[in-house]
Amino acid sequence: MTWLFFQAVVSGLLLGGVYGLVASGLSLIFGVLRIINFAHGAVMMLGMYASYWLFVLLGVDPYLSILLTGPLFFGIGVLIQRLVIEPNRAAAEHNQLLITLGLALFFENLALVLWQGDFRTLRVSYSGASFMLGDVLVEVPRLIAAGGALLIALALWAFLRWTDAGKAIRALSEEQEGARLVGIDVARMRGAAFGIGSACVAVAGALVTPFFYIAPDVGESFNIMAFVVVVLGGMGNFLGALLGGFIVGLAESLGAAFLPGSLKQLVVFALFVIVLLLRPQGLFGARGGR
Amino acid sequence: MSDSTLKPIDRRRFLETMGAAGAVTLAAPAFGRAQVREVKVGYILPVTGPLAFEAQLALNGIQQAVDEINGAGGIKSLGGARITLLPGDTQNKVELGNSEAARLIDQGVTAIIGPFSSLVAFSVRQVTEKNKTPFLLLATVADNVLEGGLRYTFRMQPNARAMATLTVGNMIEMAKAAGTPIKRVAIMHEDGNFGTTMGNHVEAFAGKMGYELVQRVPYNLRSPDFTAELSKVKAARPDLLLISGYYGDSKIIAETAGKLRIGVHALVGLANAAYSNPRFIAENRELTDHLFDGNYWHNPQSPRARAVFEAYQKRFSSVMSNHGVQGYQVTFVLKDALERAASTDREKVRDAISKTNLTDHILTQDAIRFDEAGENVNATPALLQVQGAKPVVVGPARFVEAKPVFPVPKWKG
Repeated sequence: MTWLFFQAVVSGLLLGGVYGLVASGLSLIFGVLRIINFAHGAVMMLGMYASYWLFVLLGVDPYLSILLTGPLFFGIGVLIQRLVIEPNRAAAEHNQLLITLGLALFFENLALVLWQGDFRTLRVSYSGASFMLGDVLVEVPRLIAAGGALLIALALWAFLRWTDAGKAIRALSEEQEGARLVGIDVARMRGAAFGIGSACVAVAGALVTPFFYIAPDVGESFNIMAFVVVVLGGMGNFLGALLGGFIVGLAESLGAAFLPGSLKQLVVFALFVIVLLLRPQGLFGARGGR
Repeated sequence: MSDSTLKPIDRRRFLETMGAAGAVTLAAPAFGRAQVREVKVGYILPVTGPLAFEAQLALNGIQQAVDEINGAGGIKSLGGARITLLPGDTQNKVELGNSEAARLIDQGVTAIIGPFSSLVAFSVRQVTEKNKTPFLLLATVADNVLEGGLRYTFRMQPNARAMATLTVGNMIEMAKAAGTPIKRVAIMHEDGNFGTTMGNHVEAFAGKMGYELVQRVPYNLRSPDFTAELSKVKAARPDLLLISGYYGDSKIIAETAGKLRIGVHALVGLANAAYSNPRFIAENRELTDHLFDGNYWHNPQSPRARAVFEAYQKRFSSVMSNHGVQGYQVTFVLKDALERAASTDREKVRDAISKTNLTDHILTQDAIRFDEAGENVNATPALLQVQGAKPVVVGPARFVEAKPVFPVPKWKG
């Protein structure tokens, strides 16, 4: 059954790339703002609808739509941070957590009102494209999504590493007070971090629309996985999130291939609990844009 | 205090009436003419919330039936009394189902139709039984909903057992007739109550029908990828792959199965939410071609069904769905009972429903009759296949409208 193994590995890696990008955004937001953003999946859902409507109404290819939805959701993220998160920064942490949970519920119900609960699927000419690598099936849209996610995450990593703004964001996630003392516009950088995180997840949403489906609660499946990935990779560790994405993707896929029933989810969540117990800082260490 | 608790309900009801404007326009004239006797019928459906779209389709069917009945002179044995539809919204929540049912009973409904979910039905049936109110189930498949010696609860549609066993039976018969018998069967089902029940029936049925269940894969509905699961199925070399799932998961499974060259004779949905869904088919023309599905449907051989379809199409500008058919027909089951009861008394109507023997209907089955438990003894799902971008009936034999394409070439390995 070697082909089954290789098939599972390939599928797991392709899925893992998307998990990685979703989780990178979540990790960045956590690193800088120190809040777990429960609305992350809901923002992904909005990103998917944005790509869907751009395609249906204006004929914009979902991959090209990234050029529009990326900046748009950066703006939306900044706005959310300014209007909702920032005013409550002084509040207790669990309150901030509840605020993001409230946002998630708000977005989901907004989507229900605007577009009803029915599922939508977006068919593009290449939706069905695939090729065989030996005996192993590779679906082109999933390959593009994983590759695109990896590229964007790496570009973001480079941005955090080598640009002034990126360094400022990293400084902020390392040491808030220190960052303020050296003259970094802390409030602005927090907004930027939330914006970048939101743009990441919206873009991930656009990347999956050609092979996925769209519904108001679609973000939830990615949301939970993203939490697992972030914990696995280390809270706030950007590259750790990317690697964690691949690990979770692989665990899910291999679990599905070789374990009976629907145990694959169990594998992932068992991994989650074990890492929290034995290595709470994550497999790759917490914090920073390292 | 009471004001603030009332407001959200008002808003919800407002939204609901926007979605179901017909219900209000129906109710209004009836209130104006108090001298004409009316029969109040309540529905409880998740007209807002995640199931809103499907619930609306069922409601459309109910409304069409009510208008047809009232337009043709109401309930004749009651001196032309008209049916007034009273709305109830469950949002697919158990506690709302209960409170809405209680409210409708309070408002004097003769019967309640709903609630589009087995979970909600489990709970609501206690309210309706306690208040001795006839409860006609709609889109509720769980086998055990009617267990426990219920007196007032009836189910016209096939339950999970009928849905699973008759669909597989129809499929096997059809395959035999086509000269490609089925020996090896695999099933993928979502791991909730619905899918697991279907899986259990398919497993239990294997011995009786003489096929081998070579792979059973429960899966999480929200999983974004099923390549590994389907690879496992492929490795077991089944002749037939059954899929019991909801919309998004079923879509991804069909798509991946095709790309994997899964090598089965056919992909068959078991009460699948997607495979005979007109909208899914319209959005995925190539993918859905030649998919099978066992589902409730209308009888294509019935002239009345065709007329009902045309009327629906004209009024709602969309194809009547299986939920619309069920909503329409269950309303006529009630109408038939009201005529025979010649009363709006709940007990008398209950007795009349239990004695139903309705042959003038639009379903793919023989007469609608209820057994002691309240199950429709002849309930039969149709075997459908997507041909030319629409589902056509290919089984059971007496209702067939087109020849099945079997084995399906595109699934061949």
